[in-house]
Amino acid sequence: MKRLRFHSASLAQINIRAASLLVPHSDRLEWTAEWNAELYHLCQCRPSHTPHADPLEFSLGAFRDAFWIRCNHLRSDGLPILKAGSPARCGLLLTTFAVIGFLACLCLPRARTALLPIHSFRPTDLVMISSASYAGAQLPTIPLENYQEWQTDTDKLFSQIAWYYPSAKNVYVSHQRTARLSIALASGNLFRVLGVPGPSAPGRSPNGASLILSRAAWRTWYHGDPNLVGRTANIDGQPVLIAAILPDNDGQLPGQMEAWLLEDQHALGQLPPKAKGFVFARIRGSAFPAPRGGIRVMTETRAGVTPCFECISVAWLAHQPTSNFFFALLLASMALPATTALPLGDYRDRLALTVHARRWAFLAMKFLLVLAVVYPASIALAWGPSLAGSTAVFLQVATAFLALLFAFRWILQDQRRRCPECLRLLSNPARVGQASCNFLSWNGTELFCDRGHGLLHIPELATSWFSTQRWLCLDSSWLCLFPETRSPSPGMV
Amino acid sequence: MPVDAKLSHTAAMILQAIHAGHIYGFSVMQMTGLPSGTVYPAMRRLERDGLILSRWEQQSIADADQRPPRKYYRVTRTGKATLEAVYQRYPLLEKMIPSPQSALKVEQRV
Repeated sequence: MKRLRFHSASLAQINIRAASLLVPHSDRLEWTAEWNAELYHLCQCRPSHTPHADPLEFSLGAFRDAFWIRCNHLRSDGLPILKAGSPARCGLLLTTFAVIGFLACLCLPRARTALLPIHSFRPTDLVMISSASYAGAQLPTIPLENYQEWQTDTDKLFSQIAWYYPSAKNVYVSHQRTARLSIALASGNLFRVLGVPGPSAPGRSPNGASLILSRAAWRTWYHGDPNLVGRTANIDGQPVLIAAILPDNDGQLPGQMEAWLLEDQHALGQLPPKAKGFVFARIRGSAFPAPRGGIRVMTETRAGVTPCFECISVAWLAHQPTSNFFFALLLASMALPATTALPLGDYRDRLALTVHARRWAFLAMKFLLVLAVVYPASIALAWGPSLAGSTAVFLQVATAFLALLFAFRWILQDQRRRCPECLRLLSNPARVGQASCNFLSWNGTELFCDRGHGLLHIPELATSWFSTQRWLCLDSSWLCLFPETRSPSPGMV
Repeated sequence: MPVDAKLSHTAAMILQAIHAGHIYGFSVMQMTGLPSGTVYPAMRRLERDGLILSRWEQQSIADADQRPPRKYYRVTRTGKATLEAVYQRYPLLEKMIPSPQSALKVEQRV
């Protein structure tokens, strides 16, 4: 029992140290000293005499104390930092949303791949050939017959070309256990074309094929067996050598394959000619300039038909979600003036340059944080679920556009409702004047700063002499009207 | 702080506990049954509003006992006046946490 209490006291000490880090620096020493003193006396008590004296419970209360201090920490001007409507709370909320968005992206495998592009390290001359433009890059679109023709006809364009066909096959995994894996039937040079070192040559299986497993499949089906490479797997009754396990980064290819069965051309020729797969190729330097923008069109005339294929830079494809987001950002920026007024008001009245600078910095911070919120959120929403490429692109652009547009509107409205000096939200709106008595006067709404910095006049109707909201600074003689805001009542306990 | 201030029941309990002689945080916690995350912030508010005062124990006394110095609280004159006003609002408060003075009053009545 004594030993348990000793451990509890040690843990409580650690908790108190952690809680003290949450306390603002100016108050930390005093609070830590008080907590430590109380903890000492608490630990000295006999548990039988004080049944509620649990050091661990006490130390957890220190976190609640610390949170209260953090929320009610008084600045030099006497107001809490995180009071409702304060700029710190606004920034904290936006940062929290941004962190949640990034965490959501990291939890969703497809969204994580879109957020942290892993194809960007691929060779710059590596392209993917698709007949459904870049939006269809996640779908198999190239028939085997086209691939076979290109192997001989495109020597001047491509130095190497590889193809794979997504399929599902039964694999004998372990004792009496068979799993159905999504396996790509691929040409033997696939990984050499992709620039992945290692498993590029066919193995020593009797049929010349070799199996490359993704790391996820290795973990799921073979429980991460370190001696798996070199063994033989039974795929639909055929023995195949397991040649390698791909690292996570290299395994991210269209089609979400769990394994690749590298076969020679003869074996691939057994597939139907119309079987559609994915084609990757390396462009010859002399064929055309390096694909910076991403898309090159290749046409081929065959029996009167002119099919159109597009070569998409794989490195560029990796940055597609970012490109989509910037496109949505451009659209939202263009649409914003049509949905709300851009001027932030007339604030020329005796405001110092530093006040203006702080106000604009706060506005810029809100814009940046909104971008940090919307970017991962749009990626998580569009690329998180297993949607087709074109649907995901549309969904990302649409959600990012709408979210940015409404967020920008909110930013401007929020900025207009803040005191330019303390950046807190203005309060106590009062309607002033009458519309019928508008001649040489005005009617509208007045808001004031709780700390007595000034009044904001917002006209109901824009006139030539009062077209936008106007800020009126109050001098220090008015401060006597605002004393109660400095000390909240103890009844708030 | 005005005498007729409206304290919450929790704040009133803590003030009464200090008045009753529970002069440090842990003792107030034990008396009132409130957790540490409530008691210390409440005492800070009461101190800020002038209802209680705190002082650190002398380092020499703590050193002699080989322990950390402790922080003690006491009710101020304003705090006592506020308590008198609060008894009207929470009549059971004095019975829940009897202070030495109130115990004396009861004895005199008997």
